Amino acid sequence: MAAPIVQAPRASSKTETFVDNKRKEDIRQQNIVSACTVADAVRTSLGPKGMDKMIQTASGEVIITNDGATILNKMEVLQPAAKMVVELSKSQDIVAGDGTTTVVVICGALLKQCLSLINHGIHPTVISDAIHKMAVRAVDILTAMAVPVELSDRDSLVKSASTSLNSKVVSQYSTLLAPLAVDAVLSVVDPENPHMVDLRDIKIVKKLGGTVDDTEMVKGLVFDKKVSHSAGGPTRMENAKIAVIQFQISPPKTDIEQSIVISDYTQMDRILKEERNYILGMIKKIKATGCNVLLIQKSILRDAVTDLSLHYLAKAKILVIKDVERDDIEFITKTLNCLPIANIEHFRAEKLGHADLVEEVSIGEVKIAKITGIKDMGRTATVLVRGSNQLVLDEAERSLHDALCVVRCLVNKRFLIAGGGAPEIELSRQLAVWAKVLHGMESYCVKSFADALEVIPYTLAENAGLNPIAIVTELRNRHAHGEVNAGINVRKGQITNILEENVVQPLLVSTSAITLAAECVRMILKIDDIVIVR
Amino acid sequence: MAVERILKDEASEEKGDRARMASFVGAMAISDLVKTTLGPKGMDKILQSTGRGRSVTVTNDGATILKSLPIDNPAAKVLVDISKVQDDEVGDGTTSVVVLAGELLREAEKLIAMKIHPMTIISGYRMASECARDALLNKVVDNKDDAEKFRSDLMKIAMTTLSSKILSQDKEHFGKLAVDAVMRLKGSTNLEAIQIIKKPGGSLRDSFLDEGFILDKKIGIGQPKRIENAKILVANTAMDTDKVKIYGARVRVDSMTRVAEIEAAEKEKMREKVNKIIAHGINCFVNRQLIYNFPEELFADAGILAIEHADFDGIERLALVTGGEIASTFDNPESVKLGHCKLIEEIMIGEDKLIHFSGVAMGQACTIVLRGASDHVLDEAERSLHDALCVLSQTVNDSRVLLGGGWPEIVMAKDVDELARKTPGKKSHAIEAFSRALQAIPTIIADNAGLDSAELISQLRAEHHKEGSTSGIDVISGTVGDMAVLGIAESFKVKQAILLSATEAAEMILRVDEIIKSAPRKREDRM
Repeated sequence: MAAPIVQAPRASSKTETFVDNKRKEDIRQQNIVSACTVADAVRTSLGPKGMDKMIQTASGEVIITNDGATILNKMEVLQPAAKMVVELSKSQDIVAGDGTTTVVVICGALLKQCLSLINHGIHPTVISDAIHKMAVRAVDILTAMAVPVELSDRDSLVKSASTSLNSKVVSQYSTLLAPLAVDAVLSVVDPENPHMVDLRDIKIVKKLGGTVDDTEMVKGLVFDKKVSHSAGGPTRMENAKIAVIQFQISPPKTDIEQSIVISDYTQMDRILKEERNYILGMIKKIKATGCNVLLIQKSILRDAVTDLSLHYLAKAKILVIKDVERDDIEFITKTLNCLPIANIEHFRAEKLGHADLVEEVSIGEVKIAKITGIKDMGRTATVLVRGSNQLVLDEAERSLHDALCVVRCLVNKRFLIAGGGAPEIELSRQLAVWAKVLHGMESYCVKSFADALEVIPYTLAENAGLNPIAIVTELRNRHAHGEVNAGINVRKGQITNILEENVVQPLLVSTSAITLAAECVRMILKIDDIVIVR
Repeated sequence: MAVERILKDEASEEKGDRARMASFVGAMAISDLVKTTLGPKGMDKILQSTGRGRSVTVTNDGATILKSLPIDNPAAKVLVDISKVQDDEVGDGTTSVVVLAGELLREAEKLIAMKIHPMTIISGYRMASECARDALLNKVVDNKDDAEKFRSDLMKIAMTTLSSKILSQDKEHFGKLAVDAVMRLKGSTNLEAIQIIKKPGGSLRDSFLDEGFILDKKIGIGQPKRIENAKILVANTAMDTDKVKIYGARVRVDSMTRVAEIEAAEKEKMREKVNKIIAHGINCFVNRQLIYNFPEELFADAGILAIEHADFDGIERLALVTGGEIASTFDNPESVKLGHCKLIEEIMIGEDKLIHFSGVAMGQACTIVLRGASDHVLDEAERSLHDALCVLSQTVNDSRVLLGGGWPEIVMAKDVDELARKTPGKKSHAIEAFSRALQAIPTIIADNAGLDSAELISQLRAEHHKEGSTSGIDVISGTVGDMAVLGIAESFKVKQAILLSATEAAEMILRVDEIIKSAPRKREDRM
């Protein structure tokens, strides 16, 4: 009696797991395939000869970019696994700022290998463990390859920034932008805390007009707005004493709802006069401190300035820049080394900032306000980016951001590594050697991941119009002969020592690309079901 | 027919076998859904929400999966509920409890097909679960008195819990984090004092434990960035304007100067409020609401660090750990309890600046900062870590420890089998079925790992025939291994909770012989 009972559950559970497995395999396959599709979409934009993508957003806006993170961000994917790949590129953007395409391409290549491994019947968790081991090992190998760099070595920094810029739309300007990025980052490095760079201390101001050539770094502040001169106020001020105010120079307004009751016409005159006196009183107080430049925070509750107050300010020879955003106040006060003033009563001379020159500069059609020669300037930098059209301008900003990130990476982790596919092919070689030492499934998995990493040099060559197979095999050959730094020289279309060609990138970009891609692949592998929930 | 319809139009009624069938099917479907997540080689699920944003969650946590499922089947709901209760009570084993209940019902279904009355099954199950619990009680190890050993027990439990989660690769790192955090609590199960902050970027291994409290906010402009021996006032008050809260209150004046005077008076009121706050003798002020420019400047002038817009959770925790109270009126400085800490400073994690309170009054407080590749990873890591923390804090109170890896199930199954042999009558079938259900758990663990479960379980059973065996399934090498050597341990409290609530749930569902669905309430026509 007992025997058939024992038999029954076995049989039923067998068939059930069989059916379940079928579905799970499908889901995993589907996840991997869709993640790979996303990776393929950005693959062609890798490298100096990579192509750009034109993206039309839902609102009809057009973006042309080469930046992996931006492309993926705008793709609006729905499939969960594909979404994870998009997230992956975002994380790379946060960690390293550059290599957002690389990380996705590596992830796609690893996933493709996983697919064939799973088809061989290897359990996903085994593959996942192998990937983890491989990533740890890969970081070791990369670190061993890296060359230390000093912050004083400006040339090396510029080189790595230009490597990053070379793959962008603005590559022809890399000689200009790369040193600019380096100087900007170096000027905000705090000597007391030399391993930290807050990129928020670098402000990028975009202004349409001119060409990217006209991009410059300003020692001081740049406002993307005109100096207010509706009432004929000064537009240039030497020996400026600058106040940042957070109150309004306009007729008083209470928080309680108020109304002024006028019973006869003589009162009207009186009230107008009072209003004038009130504003005049404020401006006199301001003038008394010697202040001659006012930066006024935007206000939503009431007018920050009125025509009347502007008129009086102009009379008092005070230069006014209005509508400063509240978010910018911190940056401005840090740069000017002054304190924001929130009430007229607190308007004191010691809260002012000092600068040699505040002036309105006209570039082409447009005008901007510039503050230069700031006394005791905080550790900030402002970069004024120019471009002939909005698309170029936006792309130039993104490229500059990447370049800034590259320099920041070097400040955080002061190692350089060769570019041009050299680290990847070296990884692939060394991992293949390592795979031979390992046992069992792991060895098999690591072997195929080693192959997967060749995707980077392969794609680089392919995008440059070279014969990928010839290039990759030659590269492999050179590395086998111990030329660790042999890489693809895309300009010459051949294999050269890439370090000598000045194609370098920060170590952090390569290591984080590998570790993040590995983490993402492991996550996708472990998923066996998609459940629709509320 | 005398009685045409008893129930309302849309209400439905299912009786006898059909009702029982519906419950069984529902419960088993749920348990089948989560059973692949069980064990160190369990798989994850993507939860895709159909709501706005179609947000995606990747998880391995049974409770999380079940919580988000839209379920109509009443029996399935019972299982979801026990998983929730398990999560609240002990924090871990949320999948196991559902799987065990599902298996018990699967066995019961067969017994019912053999025409055994559900009540007989229930009483058999009860005896069996009693016996299984005793079996565990006999085998527990309690190392409470030996601090060194106890710590290593905790470490083992943490690592066992974590090994089935996303953190499995770094389980030693996180195990240590979790044990350190829980040991700081000194026996209290108040996990509020352990704060988990998630910051994208870096890798999981970069996560760390920090004593004190971290607030994800910025310090106001022009205020000190570092304060030693801070006295903190935590408040929830409007620092924009004290509006007169009388509807339609308005002022009528006859000249502009009067308006200016009123404005000045309003400012004065604010200044008074700020002065009152300053009069508390504080040097740090944390407010839940916004602090406008004007008071911010006043605070800056007084050299006080003011933090605005701290979220509700943030200030409650801050008040808790610094030993202060959340104040909303400031007239009596004596009656307000201030919070204290040794040092407040700005730190940078990744790209963001955060405020770190160290040396807080509540010494056990600490913060775990999680780093990881993406938000999915971080969310899942938080859930996993939360499970580990729950289990550990429970274990600190009830320090009885068992081995893991299918060992407890086999031990229980062995004793239950023994009982079945001794028990006369139909009940013995039910007891036998119970033992089979218990053995299903190691079977599933082995199946998930892609191992030959039938072979392994039979080997394991044979091993356990010897007295005092410590064998279990070693999923990593795919063999039967010694759990004591491998350091795989589980908390007794978790196992007991799994056993008892799964049995209870199964019993409850078995008793059902009729399902009545009420008519759905009609929505009022909004015309």
